[in-house]
Amino acid sequence: MYKGPSIQIENITKRYKSAEEDSLSLVSLQINESDVYGLLGPNGAGKTTLISILCGIIPPSQGSIQYYIAGKKINEQERRSLLGFVPQEYAFYQELTPRQNLDYFGAMYNLSKTELSERIDKLLDELGLAKVADKEVFTFSGGMKRRVNLAIGLIHRPSILFLDEPTVGVDVQSKNAIIKYLEEINRAGTTIVYTSHHMSEAEEFCNRIALIDHGKVVVEGGLSELLIENGAANLQSLFIKLTGEEYRD
Amino acid sequence: MFKIYSSIRKEFLLLVSDKVGLALMFVMPLLLVFIITIIQDSAYKIVNENEIPMLVVNHDQGSGGEKLLDLLATSRLFKIDTLNSLPESALKKELLARGKMIALYIPPNFTSGLESNTGEISHMMMRDMGLETDSSHAVVEKMPVLSFYHDPVLQENYSASVMGVVDSYLGTIEKTMMIDRIYSDMDIASKSIQLSEKMASNRVKINQIVATNSNSVAVPNSTQHNVPAWTIFAMFFMVVSLGSNIVKERINGSFLRLKTMPTSFMLVMLSKMAIYVIVAILQVTLTFSIGVWILPEIGLPKLTIPGNLPAFAAVVFISSMSAVSYALLIGSWAKTQEQANGFGAISIIIFGAIGGILVPAFVMPEYMQFASNFSPLHWCLEGFYILFLKGGSWHELRSVMLFLGVFILICQLCTYIKLRIEKII
Repeated sequence: MYKGPSIQIENITKRYKSAEEDSLSLVSLQINESDVYGLLGPNGAGKTTLISILCGIIPPSQGSIQYYIAGKKINEQERRSLLGFVPQEYAFYQELTPRQNLDYFGAMYNLSKTELSERIDKLLDELGLAKVADKEVFTFSGGMKRRVNLAIGLIHRPSILFLDEPTVGVDVQSKNAIIKYLEEINRAGTTIVYTSHHMSEAEEFCNRIALIDHGKVVVEGGLSELLIENGAANLQSLFIKLTGEEYRD
Repeated sequence: MFKIYSSIRKEFLLLVSDKVGLALMFVMPLLLVFIITIIQDSAYKIVNENEIPMLVVNHDQGSGGEKLLDLLATSRLFKIDTLNSLPESALKKELLARGKMIALYIPPNFTSGLESNTGEISHMMMRDMGLETDSSHAVVEKMPVLSFYHDPVLQENYSASVMGVVDSYLGTIEKTMMIDRIYSDMDIASKSIQLSEKMASNRVKINQIVATNSNSVAVPNSTQHNVPAWTIFAMFFMVVSLGSNIVKERINGSFLRLKTMPTSFMLVMLSKMAIYVIVAILQVTLTFSIGVWILPEIGLPKLTIPGNLPAFAAVVFISSMSAVSYALLIGSWAKTQEQANGFGAISIIIFGAIGGILVPAFVMPEYMQFASNFSPLHWCLEGFYILFLKGGSWHELRSVMLFLGVFILICQLCTYIKLRIEKII
């Protein structure tokens, strides 16, 4: 099974217009196929900027990114079809039902009506939304909305999935269900790039991490190796050790 | 194709889920058309159809006063209420107490004064022609003076028009008396009737023609103004639904999410525009149908649909596009839904006011008439006016199409710029 690079990031720098400092500075990373890769860091470290660049929402000021599927480099159009994005916000239509949302976003991924119908039923069932498939989302709890958000990112069965804080603000049950489902699709071959502030969750879920602070990669590598190298008992200790205890607002 | 269908379907579902927006777009114009048309209809009738209520106190001791009243009554311009027992000193008070707008006082010496003065003129003419008359005992009275009272709220041009009518009838009476007197002095009194008839039939006639390009003689009435005016107003009010819909999609990240997908953002915008142009066309269909079939049933004037249907369709389409483009502009620049709703609604009311929706532009002060040129609602209404009241030629619609075309371009360009700034496009 191919385990080479899925995403090759080289010297990415991003400075927003009128900003005095770089939000990202010369970031280079390699994310391998079937990795669950954690982009971790305090508030304002540059995680969301990096994930936005990786998804093609904003362009980098300099540097390059290459995407590979089974060792083959893919172009911009293929990237859009093979990449899934689950933003931190509820980026869908709360006035519509989960089924209507999935219908719409699935069609935007060029899925046929029949294919889409099958996938929607399966996905709603897998994420525990089948019973509320035809109810307007604004009536849902936070956990249910997170699952709808996730379902939209998964409707086209992406090869690479970007998740920006997918479990923020949800109860333990929903968080557990989301992580279990993500582990399942990862075992099926999906590369996952994930940001979170939940260190224990990231420690359980990720096999590799990059710790980012002030727009730079502080450490990067396999989780267990990093803990040993830095003499940290767990990811939270490592995080505090490398980023300090001061407030980040 | 499925993608386009899904995109349009999503916009439709969002639209029907917005019950308040739908009410604003469909119920509001109907209510406004009904209420404002009923209110304005009586005002239009005062000017166009109703007789002017006039209080008359006739103290004349001869027949001249009666003749004047007969002429005023046969003109069908006035609804005359006679109160001859009233002294002139109480007339002002009575005018205000009875709610009449105008009053006419005919003095006791009206006939005798006129006769005396026509007698003097006749004598002078006879003398100039070398025909002797006996005027040794004639005492010339002063020319009688009629008093015209009017309510202070009555516009100057309105009272001047009424005085003009009275003056013209006075001229007729004076002329008749003059001819009678001259013929009497010449001892051929019986022939004066023939001359009077000849003079009456010899007058220059004035043809009244409504200036339209077609053969239509549609005269402005409350329906002809209010139905298109409030339909346009409601079209532009879609800013509340479409504008806040766009703000929501921008803020919640749906637009950015779409950017990661293999789809064009143009599809999203075109779907929105298509749905809301259809909404605008439905608004026109609904309110205009009310104007044609329902308003006449409650005693209001019927809406006359213009004959030039392609031009009518073009005006409806360009008005719809203007409304949609303005909503896109507000939706793309507002930071919150509250901003989009508040600014959107208030700006439409202001545009409506200066554009002649609330009060027709021609009654505004000159500087406000100039300002109305900057209101897109004014140009939309102008388009409908050209169609309804002037027959509506393509040539006349040129300036409407040009202004609204430029307006649409500016709105779309500003929307594009903002979405570019936000990296959505």
